[in-house]
Amino acid sequence: MSDPAVEGVHAENVFMSFAVTSDSHTLDAYRARGGYEALGKALRTLQPEDVEREVTASGLRGRGGANFPVGSKWSFVNKQSPVVHLCCNADEGEPGTFKDRWILEHVPHQLVEGILLAAFALHARHAFVYIRGEFDLPLRRLRGALQEARDAGLVGEGILGSAFACDIVVHRGGGAYVCGEESSLINSLEGKKGYPRNKPPFPAVKGFYGAPTVVNNVETLANVPWIVARGGAAYAALGTKANPGHRLFGISGHVNRPGLYERPTGYPMKKLIFEDAGGILGGKPLKAVIPGGSSTPVLTAGEIEILTLDAPSLQQAGSMMGSGGLIVIAEGTCMVRLLQVLTRFYRHESCGQCTPCREGTAWMDDILARVVDGRGEAADVANLRAIPEGILGNTLCALGDAAAMPVLSFVKKFGNEFEYFAANRRSLNGDRLEA
Amino acid sequence: MKDGPGDADAGRLREQFDRLRSGYPSQMNASLVLPLLQIVQEQKGHVTPADAHLVADYAGVPRAQAIEALSWYTMLHRQPVGRHVVKVCRNIACALRGSDRLLAHVEKKLGVAPGGTTGDGRITFLAVECLASCGTAPVMQVDETYHEQLDEAMVDRVLGDLR
Amino acid sequence: MELTIDDRTIEANRGESVLQAALRHGIEIPHFCYHPGLSIAGSCRICLVKVEGVSKLMPACNLSVAPNMKVSTVVPEVGRAREQVMQFLMLNHPVDCGICDKAGECRLQDYEFAYGPPRSRSTDAKHHKRKLHDLSPRIQLDNERCILCSRCVRFTREISKTNMLGIVERGAHAFVDRIDRESDDDPYSDNVIGLCPTGALLSRDFLYQSRVWFLEPVRSVCTGCSRGCSIDLWRRKKEWRIRSLGEERNSMLYRVTARENPEINGPWLCNKGFDQHKLMSRERTLTPMLGDAPASVEQAIARARDLIAQARHPAALVSALASNEELDAFKATLGTRFRVYAREDSVAQPGEVVEDDFLIKADKNPNSFGVRERFGWRTLTAADAQAHDLFLVWGDWGDYDGLGRAPVIHLASFARQRDRHADVHIPLSTTFERSGTFCNFEGKRNRFEKVFDKSPLVQHAADVFAQLEAELAAPQELREAS
Repeated sequence: MSDPAVEGVHAENVFMSFAVTSDSHTLDAYRARGGYEALGKALRTLQPEDVEREVTASGLRGRGGANFPVGSKWSFVNKQSPVVHLCCNADEGEPGTFKDRWILEHVPHQLVEGILLAAFALHARHAFVYIRGEFDLPLRRLRGALQEARDAGLVGEGILGSAFACDIVVHRGGGAYVCGEESSLINSLEGKKGYPRNKPPFPAVKGFYGAPTVVNNVETLANVPWIVARGGAAYAALGTKANPGHRLFGISGHVNRPGLYERPTGYPMKKLIFEDAGGILGGKPLKAVIPGGSSTPVLTAGEIEILTLDAPSLQQAGSMMGSGGLIVIAEGTCMVRLLQVLTRFYRHESCGQCTPCREGTAWMDDILARVVDGRGEAADVANLRAIPEGILGNTLCALGDAAAMPVLSFVKKFGNEFEYFAANRRSLNGDRLEA
Repeated sequence: MKDGPGDADAGRLREQFDRLRSGYPSQMNASLVLPLLQIVQEQKGHVTPADAHLVADYAGVPRAQAIEALSWYTMLHRQPVGRHVVKVCRNIACALRGSDRLLAHVEKKLGVAPGGTTGDGRITFLAVECLASCGTAPVMQVDETYHEQLDEAMVDRVLGDLR
Repeated sequence: MELTIDDRTIEANRGESVLQAALRHGIEIPHFCYHPGLSIAGSCRICLVKVEGVSKLMPACNLSVAPNMKVSTVVPEVGRAREQVMQFLMLNHPVDCGICDKAGECRLQDYEFAYGPPRSRSTDAKHHKRKLHDLSPRIQLDNERCILCSRCVRFTREISKTNMLGIVERGAHAFVDRIDRESDDDPYSDNVIGLCPTGALLSRDFLYQSRVWFLEPVRSVCTGCSRGCSIDLWRRKKEWRIRSLGEERNSMLYRVTARENPEINGPWLCNKGFDQHKLMSRERTLTPMLGDAPASVEQAIARARDLIAQARHPAALVSALASNEELDAFKATLGTRFRVYAREDSVAQPGEVVEDDFLIKADKNPNSFGVRERFGWRTLTAADAQAHDLFLVWGDWGDYDGLGRAPVIHLASFARQRDRHADVHIPLSTTFERSGTFCNFEGKRNRFEKVFDKSPLVQHAADVFAQLEAELAAPQELREAS
């Protein structure tokens, strides 16, 4: 198995601060790089609220896609509750996203340390890593790291000789994208179907088995050791003021060097695509970019000219930061067929609980499947505009929005292709998906 | 490698169930439903309603709950599968890098469409959604292992090694 | 606290949802999956409302009331959302109304007319699912009609606790199924029929019997046990009794539904309650008898009067199926003449649930409390039986051999083969043929109304007692003269 391209190893990086070797994921290697010093410092010299304060000061926001301030989320938990749970969301399933996998494979101890620091801050006795069922090497590396950590007294009772105790349980998912939604994850972890829950109550108030629960993404938690070691202010100085820090940006699709790139937030999108990732395959012109995982609205080549990889910039352009996974599309691609790849996905992943998503995702895919099969009809494009409007904002969880936004944005920005395909019963771009 | 289809070995299963349970905090037996179903699948390749009843009873949940879960998680097979399961990703990044081409290639090579099992029981072929390997697309998973940056030749090599 | 919904300011209690507060004040906010007796699902999305200061529409069923909250349901945004939700629900819903029993009392139908779009956007064929499936001997399930509101699933999970139903498969493939096939039949299963907001779950007993708008409910009380749940008995409306239908269909009971009673059964009923209408098909006795010879009512009453007058130690066996009014009538007229024993007309049958911690009580009679209140509860022993020279048996009774050689006056509604004939037999009206009240096991009084006029061939027990008392009190000469 080959590693994704890794550019720019810097000692000051949060993640990619070392060259990946066959044992750089081990405890010894991690310790040699300064690993677990933050945990030691916290347990020896800090109170749990100090850790939360640093994380709040860092401005760190959730890296799973929702971009919610982490310190705020932690602050919603009543730390006096008899039981508090921490869940690490390793159910990476957003198309275009593969960063958590890198963390699990190459810096599993950094994640473990982040989990322990978060558990310390939250007074959580147990932490649960919900890892997607398909993962093989990431699971083995994580289990290996946990075994090493247990043997070294870093997990379990009396961690590093302190009074702090925390056990980490690894729990595999069963093949459901929706289980990446935090309340769905909790229901799944309780042994049920992964139906998301109505909110309120929010998990921080009533979550796993009714106890206050925080669900954080892998990358989010893996930031915490750096923050505790160097201080929240130092993290806040990285990247942009509004959304500080580094992110593991993924880039895939029609680029020469797809892979993961650790960059500060605010990094110019065009630079990532055309310099770091080596530009478009075959030197073709850029057609479109989906900036943050398949659920974020697509942007045309013209729209990304001055965009930077941070939430305000992308929001202003009508899209979102999402999970930081860019999908790059070259000129000549059939956007109708490409959209049907996505509608097929969301239809498959809709949990089925609420009306607009259950019926709407199937309906949109039915229409698109028919159109790409050359059986388009006059009403199809108008329907593809109207149906997402009936889903957006009306569903029990964000999967509905995630399914609606691609359809809305593709049809809005590439409407001529859809009109053409429906009217002429064939693709304007020769059915092409490859560059 | 999985055992062939047939009844799960009850004794060995029980041992694995107990080992799994010991890794969870007490009073969280309900959480074991999905992992227990996965253990059954690892042993016999697929999971039946009777297995789900066993799991529910062990986990102390209503049988209906385990049956619902079995029907809802797509990694769980409710029909027997081949000795190997080949999952080719068909989602967006892989689609942009030729997954259609590879899906057609595998279908031609195996003689079954996605969802089917070869006549000799060797391979079950599935088209799946994003495997979080977009940077090395196109990708397929054969049993546990990811095979990335695929082309037809590599696919042929990997499939050819499967007994 | 106070909040406003559209232009109305209403008071609400802490902990209530906006939907609950609205419904309490008679404000209509459409809802499918919400039910006051079940947990909140929040999945149908028809109850979405606009809250001032909140950008997204919120489901009213899961929205806690807050002081000075301003809720709007008449803004275009809400109307659009309702239209869209109805469009999604109707997308694959079969247009079965013409052949579906639920028509006329179907919430989906009502909301489609009230809130749905003028026409469907869809041009594709509807998806099909399993139709007209026998979920159980009592219930038919049609998965195409189902809108997956999960009321039925939540009922069997939370209320009857049998977990009989579940929703399997993901996304649009999801369907309701009876998935715990090894469980005993749910003795409360029929509640899901009333819960279902569409024609997906229907009573097989009532299937195709009548359009519901030809029928009307009559308030009654279940006589299946001492819980005495409130029920509605459904008969044909007067204006829809058509000669060509025939006497049977004009005067039958079509079905039973649960009648909400917060004091006794809430919104629920057990299957035995849902079967109360089947009591109509029990064979009636319609002819007064003297021994084995038919007689007139007058003759029967005269003979009974004589037997009572002659008896020195008469005993009465009083039925726990009798209403409070009948018991009062007996007490006021003949009660002092007799030594009164109490009797349970009905006992648990093999296979019947005896008692549970929900509705079903072991005492299978509706008015044991009423009997006990007036007469105490004295059971007739073999020794007692020897001591009496006359038995007035009121209600269903087995063979008379337990009553020794004494004469028997038997007042009953239902026919039955016995070892010998009563000396006097007078047929009585049933609970359906008069109004009255029962007291349940907690002493709660519950009223039942007359559903049908009694046949002239049978008597109301109260009238019989009054007549007997009158004849017993009349001077000898007047009697001999008549």
